[in-house]
Amino acid sequence: MSASWKQLLSQVLLLLVSCRHVNTKTPSPTAPALAPLPTNVSSVVLKGKSHTENIQLLNPVNLTLVCIWTGHQNTAPNITGHWRKDGEEIQSSRRSVQVDSQQYNMTRVFSIDKEENLGNYSCVFGDEAKIDFILAAPQFDEDRDKPIISYVGDSVGLTCKMANPDPNTWTWYKENGTAKELISAEPQRYEIKNTNNHTKLLVHNLTEADSGVFFCGAVFAIHTTMRPVELKVITFMEPLKPFISILVEVVVLVAAILLFERCQSKKKVPAGDGTTADQKNMLPQGDDNASEGSSSMRQRKV
Amino acid sequence: MTKVKSESESRSDEAEGPDGGWGWVLLGALFISTSLVFGLMRSLGIFFVEFVQYFEESAQAVSWISSTGLAAQQFFSPLGAALCNAYNARLVVMAGGFLAGLGLILASQATCLAHLYLTMGVISGLGWGLVFTPMVATVMASFTRRRTLALGLAFSSIGLSSFAFNPLFQLLVEMYTWRGALLILGGLSLNIVACGALIRPKPRSEAPAKVDPESKSSCVAQLQRVSNYLELSLLFERPYVTYTLAISLLNVGYFVPYFHLVAHSRQAGFSEYQAAFVMSAAGATDILGRVVSGWFADLHHFRLIHLLSLWTALAGVFIMLLPVSSLSGSYIALVVIGLLYGFCSGALTSLAFAVVPMIVGVERMMGALGLLQLIESSAGLLGTPLSGLLKDITGNYMASFMVAGSFPILGTLTMATLPHYFSCTDPPPPQRRSLGDKDKGLNSELEQMNTLPSDISDKGGE
Repeated sequence: MSASWKQLLSQVLLLLVSCRHVNTKTPSPTAPALAPLPTNVSSVVLKGKSHTENIQLLNPVNLTLVCIWTGHQNTAPNITGHWRKDGEEIQSSRRSVQVDSQQYNMTRVFSIDKEENLGNYSCVFGDEAKIDFILAAPQFDEDRDKPIISYVGDSVGLTCKMANPDPNTWTWYKENGTAKELISAEPQRYEIKNTNNHTKLLVHNLTEADSGVFFCGAVFAIHTTMRPVELKVITFMEPLKPFISILVEVVVLVAAILLFERCQSKKKVPAGDGTTADQKNMLPQGDDNASEGSSSMRQRKV
Repeated sequence: MTKVKSESESRSDEAEGPDGGWGWVLLGALFISTSLVFGLMRSLGIFFVEFVQYFEESAQAVSWISSTGLAAQQFFSPLGAALCNAYNARLVVMAGGFLAGLGLILASQATCLAHLYLTMGVISGLGWGLVFTPMVATVMASFTRRRTLALGLAFSSIGLSSFAFNPLFQLLVEMYTWRGALLILGGLSLNIVACGALIRPKPRSEAPAKVDPESKSSCVAQLQRVSNYLELSLLFERPYVTYTLAISLLNVGYFVPYFHLVAHSRQAGFSEYQAAFVMSAAGATDILGRVVSGWFADLHHFRLIHLLSLWTALAGVFIMLLPVSSLSGSYIALVVIGLLYGFCSGALTSLAFAVVPMIVGVERMMGALGLLQLIESSAGLLGTPLSGLLKDITGNYMASFMVAGSFPILGTLTMATLPHYFSCTDPPPPQRRSLGDKDKGLNSELEQMNTLPSDISDKGGE
């Protein structure tokens, strides 16, 4: 637990955008009367009109978001700011923000303890500036968009990797209509091999019904990140079709070549003998054996 | 009298056949079959990734598949040549194409790595060995004046087809996985059978002539026949042995840049893409070099052996310069040397085979090529491990490239010991128990003018 907390802290430190990061007051946990959650702070200084900050969370946490806006030339003494979650204004978050040494400062503590609490939080300064904080569990690297193909009766391995951080555990689901069915190991059918940072689902004795989308889930305390892996099971007929067509093409070619040659040779045969005879006559040789052989050799291709 | 006879022979030969007509059709067949043999071999890397994943074996174990295939192709080359001498080039090539396709088709059903070694390695390798040497020898016999150009055009297919096959194989693997892709490749390889069908069968009355009527036991007679077909007697002739030695020395250094250039470029501080680009650029000039050198050689301004020596020596020099150019850290220098090296290495491949009939005569060319392939390839196996060893000892690639570059230069020096090397015209190629020119072309006409009648009747060459 402490290891992942340290990890989160170091990540947050890396997230700070400006050199002049300003740490505001240390917030006190405002979690309800459950087990106290760890606290963390993310602070962003905005100089322009908008900014987006990605925050990766593994575990439930009380997160303080600090927005500091340096305003523009005509800095009014106060401005109305509010917070939004996923685009919708959070109730009773609207308040008046005073200028404090050329800066507007909005701070709010959020209790992120469930999956639903992840999302896109924004602090909005009037109509003029906005900072987005995207709170999410660790995501996978790019999806593999090409389906994995395998044959009926064969076995296939579906893999998922997540480099950092390592998930607590892995789960696999198969899409069934709109629902996801959990896959558990079955002999001769499903086999799950897990290591810290990658997982492999082996499906044996494939049938065409096994085609579909599988989901591998990287389980974190806060949320399970899913990734789709498409499996397509085909019969051996599929590649057999182009193969047969190529086979037919080869047979046709060979037959055509041989037939063509037969037709040609029928025309050529009388002339051919004549030239051969001429060649032989022209070479009186010392060694008898070689002469005929060598002359026919010479005019022929090897 | 001999002079008159030779002239009329040469005239009738030129009118007779080679250098045109069906020769170009055979060249097309060679183009396709070479691309299906070597172009395919070079693009098998795409399958290896799939094999590593599917069979859960190491990359090294999987790479043995292509090593086995290549070794089998080279090992069975003399066999292919001997079978052509004994029977019929057409049958041999068609059988070879069938075997090559069969190997890949069977490989698609493999359930373990050993199956792949047997099918893709041995069976397909045997098929490829039965295809390549006979087709090359057939085409070489069909051309005389434009022989080198024909070879250059045909061998350019290797580079071009590996360009085309890489994306094609990737697509096939994505659509059908490796099993389906291998099945389809097997079908494609069967096209070699069609290429072989294009060879017009020739009546070989030579065969009975070769075998002296023996009163000894048939076993000895059989052995003698076999050794005749394999042209083993060539191994006792100095010119052939010299030439084979030269080409083997060349082979030791020839492949080193292909294996180590990327690693060396990375070590010199260039990025992955920069290193890969140098290799691609060298590959492109390789194709260009093959065609240009073939065309240039057939202008007949210089003897083929001199041109070959030039390209070989230059290739050796550029191999040596490769690490030197990157010493200064200049990427441009590395690219330029890489381009030049690619050009020279392509240029020499067109000529390496074309010189053989000049040394051994056209009728022994088939067996000579087979033996040459076998011997030169075993030398090639030494080069890469040696350079790897040098790199491990010294820590960088400077020594490996220097040593590798010195081998082609040694090869050039060895070539210089060939008889009649320093004369300006080609000597008459050796005749086997017959008079008259075997090797046609401008050279033979020069010979008529320059050489004495006694030379022509000198059997067995030098």
